[in-house]
Amino acid sequence: MSAAAAPMESTRRTSSSTSPLELGFRLLIIGLVCAIAFWLAFNIFRDGNVFLAVSLVVIALGVTVINLRPELWPLRWMTPGLAAIALLAVYPILYTVYVAFTNYGTGHRHTKEQSIALMGNEKFLSEGGTSYQWAAMANAAGEFALWLRDGQGGTFFAQPGQPLRAVPVDQAGTLNEDGIPTSFDGYNLLERREFAQALRELQTITFGDAANPVGIRSRTEAGAFEQRWIFDSAQNAMVNQETGAVYPADESRGSFVAADGTEAPLGYWVPIGLNNFTRIFNDIGISGPLVRVFLWTIAFAFFSVITSFALGLGMALLLDKAFPGVRILKSLLIIPYAIPGMISILIWRGMLNENVGIISTSMQNWFGWSPPFATDPFWAKFAILLVNLWLSYPYFMLICSGALQSIPGSIYEAADVDGANSWTKFWKLTLPLLLVAVGPLLIASFTYNFNNFLLIEALFKGGPAMVGTAAPPVGHTDNLISYTYRFAFGTGGRQDYGFASAIAIVIFFIVGGLTLFQFRFTKRLEEMGEGG
Amino acid sequence: MANTLKSQGSTLGAIRPAQSGPGAMTIAIGALRLLFIVVIIVFTLFPVLWIVSAAINPAGSMSSQTFIPQGVDSVDDMLVNVRALLEDPQVPFWTWVLNSLVVSSITTVLTLAISALSAYSFSRFRFAGRRQLLVTILLIQVFPNLLAMVALYLLLLQIGPYIPFLGLNQHGGLILLYLGGAMGVNTWLMKGFFDTIPRDIDESAMVDGATHWQTFVQLIFPLVRPVMAVVAILAFVGTLNEFVLARIILQDREKWTLMVGLFNFVEAEFSNDWGKFAAGALMAATPVVILYISLQKYIVGGLTQGAVKG
Repeated sequence: MSAAAAPMESTRRTSSSTSPLELGFRLLIIGLVCAIAFWLAFNIFRDGNVFLAVSLVVIALGVTVINLRPELWPLRWMTPGLAAIALLAVYPILYTVYVAFTNYGTGHRHTKEQSIALMGNEKFLSEGGTSYQWAAMANAAGEFALWLRDGQGGTFFAQPGQPLRAVPVDQAGTLNEDGIPTSFDGYNLLERREFAQALRELQTITFGDAANPVGIRSRTEAGAFEQRWIFDSAQNAMVNQETGAVYPADESRGSFVAADGTEAPLGYWVPIGLNNFTRIFNDIGISGPLVRVFLWTIAFAFFSVITSFALGLGMALLLDKAFPGVRILKSLLIIPYAIPGMISILIWRGMLNENVGIISTSMQNWFGWSPPFATDPFWAKFAILLVNLWLSYPYFMLICSGALQSIPGSIYEAADVDGANSWTKFWKLTLPLLLVAVGPLLIASFTYNFNNFLLIEALFKGGPAMVGTAAPPVGHTDNLISYTYRFAFGTGGRQDYGFASAIAIVIFFIVGGLTLFQFRFTKRLEEMGEGG
Repeated sequence: MANTLKSQGSTLGAIRPAQSGPGAMTIAIGALRLLFIVVIIVFTLFPVLWIVSAAINPAGSMSSQTFIPQGVDSVDDMLVNVRALLEDPQVPFWTWVLNSLVVSSITTVLTLAISALSAYSFSRFRFAGRRQLLVTILLIQVFPNLLAMVALYLLLLQIGPYIPFLGLNQHGGLILLYLGGAMGVNTWLMKGFFDTIPRDIDESAMVDGATHWQTFVQLIFPLVRPVMAVVAILAFVGTLNEFVLARIILQDREKWTLMVGLFNFVEAEFSNDWGKFAAGALMAATPVVILYISLQKYIVGGLTQGAVKG
């Protein structure tokens, strides 16, 4: 504690001896940071992201307080680091926690107002509205346009995204036998064959501008589009103008649901309380894929650490004896650890390729059989553990070599005096002493592998697929983090970011717990408490 | 240590039925041990040699590859894949290299500045909540940041219109995101090293009227250069190898880093472009491997320091 007293004194000295120049400089920096942060926060607030805007303001205020309150002066040194952590680590975590209690995801990405506005853009060809006879034209760039004639004999030229142009027939140049201009404004009337080819594409195009959109209804008829969804605030429901069906808003689910259970294409973003979390535990309860994913995550992390540590320690012991070239050999053996991980994994992906990879083809040649790495769950898992062993045992070999050298030889001499055999010496002396030094790294390695996304995703993309699971697709080698990734950025078309966030929080508790355990394990907390 | 080794060996022997004499047994154990070492060496180095072989194999496809490349008569033949890669209009290889170097260098410098200042503060100053803050900083880093990615993506998306160089598809934005991880482990590593420097040095300087800042810059900084070097290497290589965030943030081919470029290039036509991938992988990995192996003593020292000390 006496060591702590001296800097405290210098605290007072430093803060009281601040020169006006230094203070002015500090105020200038703070002012600049705050000005930028507030300006950014204001604009982002205007764009509708309150959460981020508030976070920016809070961070700017934090920076100000730290730099102006005299008693907080030790934190001044950390201002850039703390600001970075607040914006880039804490804010995303809080955002994720917030999202975990909502239904954010595909179809629930917007607020109710935004969703209503977005659905308002959807048009359908109404049966009752204006109808036209039409002919298709195209210009040299392959862009299409329509020549339209309504029931009263009025004629129009319609390009996508531009207002209809009323063009009297006598101003349209040369007409064919049907009274349609053969070319107009750089567009030429399509020949029969071209027309047949273009028909499918023509049906997908909206001609005219947003105020007066026109689309093709049949081979001979074009019609005006009308807005499909109109919000009726009296019923708090979306009404489908084509069918007349009413979709009342279900505020607890954030969806517009009709009486027959069908949903409008877009829902909206609402808090759904603990639903995402109960869904996790229900899924575990009914032994859905989550249980298997969870068990494999643990097994993968556990076996990865054990095998790499065992082989690393074994090689460290075997290469501990000095023989010619041992240094060079050790340097060569750490190459896998030095190669950028992504490149290593891709090399292995090539070698494990079931059709042309070297491992499969050699084994086919020698034994007439090769492990179905990509299709059989057992062999896929085996391959993943093998690759991870290759990637990480050199690290443990390095660490163990160093740690072994720090064990004093006198301990073994004492054991020899007591008549301990070598088996006992390894298990009772070497390993326990080694574990004291390497234990925290084993735990760190376990937490790293618990969240190992790159290996799982880049080697087999989580495959082979589990049969009979709902979207998103789950693979036998998916771990929690890659499974969660599929929910958040799902390739299966459906993204459920709220649910993914809830899983992320569960993972955070598991990994965070392990990390805290690691602190106890190394007694670092106590060490620091003693003023280390 | 030879002691331990011997004990291991004789232990293995003890389990086996000792029919032959002790001499034969020792030889058998020696042979077994040698066999094990050889198997592991093959297992470790085969993929490395295989990718080197693929890189210089003029055939260029996975199915036609042999361990000793066929049809290599000159250095020119060996460079077929390298040339094909560098001449591929879809692969602006040197642009990717440059991007990687720029992003990694700037990230490294900023990381060093941020973590050195914090580590000095944690090592030298005593203040309420110091322990809790240190632990919190490390705990925050174990949050699966893959999931924070949506928040980070949206962050750049929203900042971009107002501060363009920090937006999506910008190296500045990517560097900003990397700084979120700057403080955690690095601060711990550095604090451990700072703690080993006697505090008397600071105190005598302050008695002479130096401020904390002057003490830090003129006295402490030169003394902690070894740990700065370790953190710099780890940060540089770590950023160089980072791939998941870079792939999401950088969208244009011209902006990609080397890892993103190689991955996307491989995704397209893996088995046919195998030779070109191998050439690229070799060119990308060789400098990093050389850096690592030549500096391994310092890197391992930095990694184990805290643990072995505890």
